[in-house]
Amino acid sequence: AGLDKTHGVHPNLLSQYVPLKTSSSPQTWKCLDGSKEILWSSVNDDYCDCPDGSDEPGTGACPNSTFYCRNEGHLGSIIPASRVNDGLCEAECCDGSDELPGVCPNICKEVGEAYRKAQEEVRKVRKKGSKIRSSYIAFAQKEKKRLEGLIESTTEEIAQRQKEVERLRDIVERSESLSAAALEHKKASPLYETLIEHANALKSLQREHKKHLERKKALGQILDALRTGYNPNYQDMAVLEAVRGWESLAGLPHINDVRKEEEGSDEGAVVKTESDDEEELDEGMWTAEDLEKDLDNLLKTDYVSLLLEHEKHVNSPMTDSILFDLAAYLPDALVPQYETFRETVISWLRTLGIVHRGVDDSGENTKLRQSLTEAEQALRRAENDKKKAEDDLSDLFDPEGYGAQGEWKKLEGTCLEKDVGDYTYEVCLFDEARQKPNKGGQTFSLGKFHSWNPDAQPGNPEYYTKQLYRGGTKCWNGPNRSVMLILSCGTENAIHTVAEPEKCEYHLTGTTPALCLPFDSSSEEKRDEL
Amino acid sequence: VKTQDFKTCAQAGFCRRGRALASRAQETASWKSPYSVDSSSLAVASDQASFTAGVKSSLYPDIKFSLDVRIHDDGVVRVRMDEVDGLRKRYDEAASWALIAEPKLSRDISWTVGKKDVRALYGAKKESEVVVNFEPLRVALLRNGKEQVVLNGRGLLHMEHFRTKESSRPEGTPEEGLDEEAQAVMKVRPMAWFEGETEDGYWEESFGGNTDSKPKGPESLSIDIEFPNHGHVYGIPQHATRLDLPTTTGENPTYSDPYRLWNSDVFEYMASSTMSLYGSIPVMHAHAADSTVAIFNAVASETWIDVDHPTPKSTNTHWISESGILDVFIMPGPTPDDIFGQYARLTGTPALPAQWSLGYHQCRWNYISSDDVRSVQKRFDEHDMPVDVFWLDIEYAEEHKYFIWDKKNFPDPVDMMHDVEALGRKMVVIIDPHLKRTSNYPVYQEASELGVLVKGKSGDSEYEGWCWSGSSSWIDFFNPNSWEWWKRLFKTTSQGNKWSWTESTDNTYIWNDMNEPSVFNGPEISMPRDNIHYGGWEHRDVHNINGMLLPNITSQALIARSDPPKRPFVLTRSFYAGSQRFGAMWTGDNLGTWDHMAAGIYMVLANGIAGMTFAGSDVGGFFGNPEPEMLVRWYQVGAFNPFFRAHAHLDTKRREPYLIDEPYRGMLRDILRLRYTMLPVWYTAFHEASVTGIPVLRPHYVVFPRDEAGFTLDDQYFIGGSGLLVKPVVHKDVTEIEVYLPEDQVYYNYFSHHAYRGSAKGKQVIVPAAIHEIPLLIRGGSIIPTRERPRRSSPLMKRDPFTLRVALDKTGYARGELYLDDGETFSHLEGNIVWREFVAEKTAKKSKTIKISSSDLVSKNPDAAVDGVSLTKYDPLNAFAKSVEGVRVEKIVLLGLTSKPVGVKVEGGDDLVSEFVSGVAAEGKKEGEASVLIIKDPGVFVTKDWTIVIQL
Repeated sequence: AGLDKTHGVHPNLLSQYVPLKTSSSPQTWKCLDGSKEILWSSVNDDYCDCPDGSDEPGTGACPNSTFYCRNEGHLGSIIPASRVNDGLCEAECCDGSDELPGVCPNICKEVGEAYRKAQEEVRKVRKKGSKIRSSYIAFAQKEKKRLEGLIESTTEEIAQRQKEVERLRDIVERSESLSAAALEHKKASPLYETLIEHANALKSLQREHKKHLERKKALGQILDALRTGYNPNYQDMAVLEAVRGWESLAGLPHINDVRKEEEGSDEGAVVKTESDDEEELDEGMWTAEDLEKDLDNLLKTDYVSLLLEHEKHVNSPMTDSILFDLAAYLPDALVPQYETFRETVISWLRTLGIVHRGVDDSGENTKLRQSLTEAEQALRRAENDKKKAEDDLSDLFDPEGYGAQGEWKKLEGTCLEKDVGDYTYEVCLFDEARQKPNKGGQTFSLGKFHSWNPDAQPGNPEYYTKQLYRGGTKCWNGPNRSVMLILSCGTENAIHTVAEPEKCEYHLTGTTPALCLPFDSSSEEKRDEL
Repeated sequence: VKTQDFKTCAQAGFCRRGRALASRAQETASWKSPYSVDSSSLAVASDQASFTAGVKSSLYPDIKFSLDVRIHDDGVVRVRMDEVDGLRKRYDEAASWALIAEPKLSRDISWTVGKKDVRALYGAKKESEVVVNFEPLRVALLRNGKEQVVLNGRGLLHMEHFRTKESSRPEGTPEEGLDEEAQAVMKVRPMAWFEGETEDGYWEESFGGNTDSKPKGPESLSIDIEFPNHGHVYGIPQHATRLDLPTTTGENPTYSDPYRLWNSDVFEYMASSTMSLYGSIPVMHAHAADSTVAIFNAVASETWIDVDHPTPKSTNTHWISESGILDVFIMPGPTPDDIFGQYARLTGTPALPAQWSLGYHQCRWNYISSDDVRSVQKRFDEHDMPVDVFWLDIEYAEEHKYFIWDKKNFPDPVDMMHDVEALGRKMVVIIDPHLKRTSNYPVYQEASELGVLVKGKSGDSEYEGWCWSGSSSWIDFFNPNSWEWWKRLFKTTSQGNKWSWTESTDNTYIWNDMNEPSVFNGPEISMPRDNIHYGGWEHRDVHNINGMLLPNITSQALIARSDPPKRPFVLTRSFYAGSQRFGAMWTGDNLGTWDHMAAGIYMVLANGIAGMTFAGSDVGGFFGNPEPEMLVRWYQVGAFNPFFRAHAHLDTKRREPYLIDEPYRGMLRDILRLRYTMLPVWYTAFHEASVTGIPVLRPHYVVFPRDEAGFTLDDQYFIGGSGLLVKPVVHKDVTEIEVYLPEDQVYYNYFSHHAYRGSAKGKQVIVPAAIHEIPLLIRGGSIIPTRERPRRSSPLMKRDPFTLRVALDKTGYARGELYLDDGETFSHLEGNIVWREFVAEKTAKKSKTIKISSSDLVSKNPDAAVDGVSLTKYDPLNAFAKSVEGVRVEKIVLLGLTSKPVGVKVEGGDDLVSEFVSGVAAEGKKEGEASVLIIKDPGVFVTKDWTIVIQL
């Protein structure tokens, strides 16, 4: 009662499962890898003879071979030998041929029908999605036109602006050449040099200050994450001490107390914040706010203009000075009244044109130079606009960017959200992914757009099924947060699931019409085959 | 590890006192124990099996002690001593938790009471003798006149009697016969001579910011135990140290601190240390070529053990415990196998595990959702890697309220389990003993209402500490009221208005962790010693037993939840003597380092000889991200551990075996498949352990007790009685390795069939051990049954045929066993089993005919077929045997034939097809690849008797 010799044989190999036409009896057979000639009766006899396992296509006796189920009424399929005769009816073998007769029913009719129905559903979604996708492509085409128009107009604008810059530069150069030598001399003044030195020092200081501020902010975020995210595991006293230290520095209540309060106690914690005990400033000192807002303005000072202005002051007639310095000659008691009076007098004198600030050559030069600078800036802007438009245009159909047909352009900056209870996850496509707590607290960056699926070739549909976002906020005791967004064809742009399979690595799944490829003629044919 | 979180001996008052006593004794030549037997009070029981007597201390003449010495019917001697009519009662229940039953006493004893001693000769040849000297008290076990075990031989016995804090010490009278110095001390400060000059840590102790109120004052117990003729001691797990215990005192000790037994959750423990770990079994083997003896010191409180070899052939040990009575069992041996039998009769044999639990377990902290579990299962199947069990760590539970699913991530737990079960697999879910103190947690609520939670030091309110769940309380399983309640929780069906785990299935098994107990804000990460348990006992009295009770009751709960009952599976981190009756253990939170990989092997061996044979270490290391080479080696170690589980910490990268790149992935698949191939070997070994107590992993001294060179070996070992010898590689960049062969016998490489020759003096041979190779040898004379068809899980192998590897010894003989049953119910207790013996032998000494035969072993050994049951009648055609009667032997691989056979046939049947590859014969001296005869499909069935005749 031997098994059919072709049981479990793939249709493509059927022709090879016949006895060798050599000497009559006993009939023999050659292993498919040619390594061994065995008795024909040894094929499918539930004993593994061939090193390649080819003599047991239907029994599972050879460890690394495969078994083919015909699944008439459905699609044929291949399963590993380890599934044959294991007592389980494999889903892949709806005809039940993977087990001894009588063990598994043939359900291929139902399975086939259900499969075709499901395929039809998938097809519908894909069809609908591909229409939306075409609109994305149309958008890209429109965008292409817009960019091309933009490039054209900016090209013209650039030509004009270049002319204007040349004209102004000519004037400035001519007028400045007269005073250039004088200016160089003035610039040699120790006062000016010191000023520049101070300005440079200030600039450096500002840069360092900003660095520190950023560092402080990052540290604060790390410590906040540590405080809210650490396991209340007192085994690690170092962590606990760090949390306690941060809480006292930042004026936060102990996180465990916060949790306890949430559970019932109505005694509010006394929150002491940093701003409560801000230190007193000496006169003239800048507040942190001033530093942030006004330092930039201060550093934008045009020192050459200032130098010329200063020259003018120093060389002006003393009359001004006497008038302005009159207070020095007055008794202290009269000074306040004088000050009020002086303002009135000066404004009156100015109105009458008696006191005024003269305009000298150097002032004229400054103005001219300003015009030139402005014209140059306008030119640069136009050039940048053009460059950007050109870059955008080339990105538009870059397979590593918005796809060969530009179908992803439409979705640039589109933000998808998924609320999973404690957090809402947000991915702004091609931009940044974020984790936003729903009950208040820190929003963490989960990373910026880094690349498409690195395991597939650009242009291949597989390539666009994954987006990687990297370099998010660093996890305490872990890596920088990152996201793998796994996409499939769907009629909507949406995130469906969020998982964190390992610490700070988020796997999001979602759908987008951008992946719904239109049916080409060949795939239609395939469908008809079913 | 933060060593400062855990005490050294010097930081524990009683240990400090005990060690100080030992050092004073060492320095005083005339040191003499103050304890003596009051011979006038000696009373021999009417059946002669025991006697009792009063004991006095010359230091405290008013304090009364009692001595109780019994001899069991298997020769085990039990020595008990307690304080009588003291201020309080010492904890005396440790043995009752460890013992499986009240031991049977011998009927073969007669005590001879003399002037200076009482003694009894016993044993089949009257070879054993117990001698109890009166003054000072000294107990010795002798065999053939040679001292084997001596209690109080060095006079370190001290039972600190209960006293009141106010009372000053009574004045003692100086002893005669002390040296001058001691005399001088005695005269001035008589107590100081023995107990030290100050009341050191008597009434209160602080450590790490915690204060122990010690309401009972000092009550410690010190006893020296000598093995005057044994140069090696093993056991007293669990410590990360070599099997042959290194010294802690004497000249150049390896360690400076004694071995400590105080169940502890040690974060990132050291790979070589005497520090206490998660479980404690106070069992020690002492071994010499001609004798093995052992002691079981049934104490539940913190215990420190000093080990010293005054000579290479002798061992001194000193046991210092914080509280409890003296209750020492002396096991006379004389062989390691005898010891295992004697210890099993006391505390039970390892339970026969469900067969699937010997498969591969995939764990991680944490599989984060039911879909995650499904996807892990899918990936295993895609890569055709076998696995039996998926595990869930603490994150499955909402706010770490065990039993309560986090429905956000596990919305459909029962469906998830059914998806796993559909492929014959199981799930193991963690249940810890700390309960979150919150009103919306029915388990805590019910425990609180029942009053079965551990109390704080006042004894009247629930103790509150911190663990994973935050503010938590601990179930007091010493309270009998907790038992039925706990069993009810595991019912998968609704229990009226009472809570039960309806969101679980009969294939949901349990992992008990943190049961030392681990208390994050407690002293030494555990419970305060002055906490109060049921019966008013302090936590200090019961700590080392406490951890065992959770898995104990949980395994009973799993048995009780289904009808007919199924064998339970409970993995525990904490354990005590007797825990082997309830489940498996693992070596806790190891590190992903080569050191820890190696230590895991020593630890599993040490646990095994102390009964806890169903043991393993986390494959891959709990902490860290092992490189591919390390991961492959670690799977090789795991595949040859009784318990084979991969696990990983929350912060580690995922490292399921399908994730690693080729060629490593293929190696891991091969290792997993090898384990499954060998499941018949493992199950047969577990069957033997369940009947005899002999561990599944057998160190050299157990298998070759007379071979001195093997006494220190702990990096290679035998698997059950199969004849398989393995030496897992635990170092980087290894390509070959030395394996020690302890006898003049041929050993075959399992994979290449290379024949190695041992020598009667012992010999090292070089075995290939590149990364894809496991040094695995078959001892000549063995028959190894395997199943060589890869499946997705072990239950799916039920109908698969067997392969027999027959490895002839140098006389042309081989023997092997195979045990089978349904693997999951208790029907084996009714004789639903198949237990076969395979023998290959020549029909006569110089015969050219070899017969391989299969015969029934149950009928031959009805008493040894099933643990604890003597089968009065056995039906070879029992229901289980019938269910596998179609299972055949598909292949026989015969190693070491001298020449190509001229005929191979089944006796009384047809000629068989066979293939012969010539090579080295078992008989002779040659090394090289052995001859291999492969007999194709002999058409014989595994449940039947048959004989195959090979004509040379």
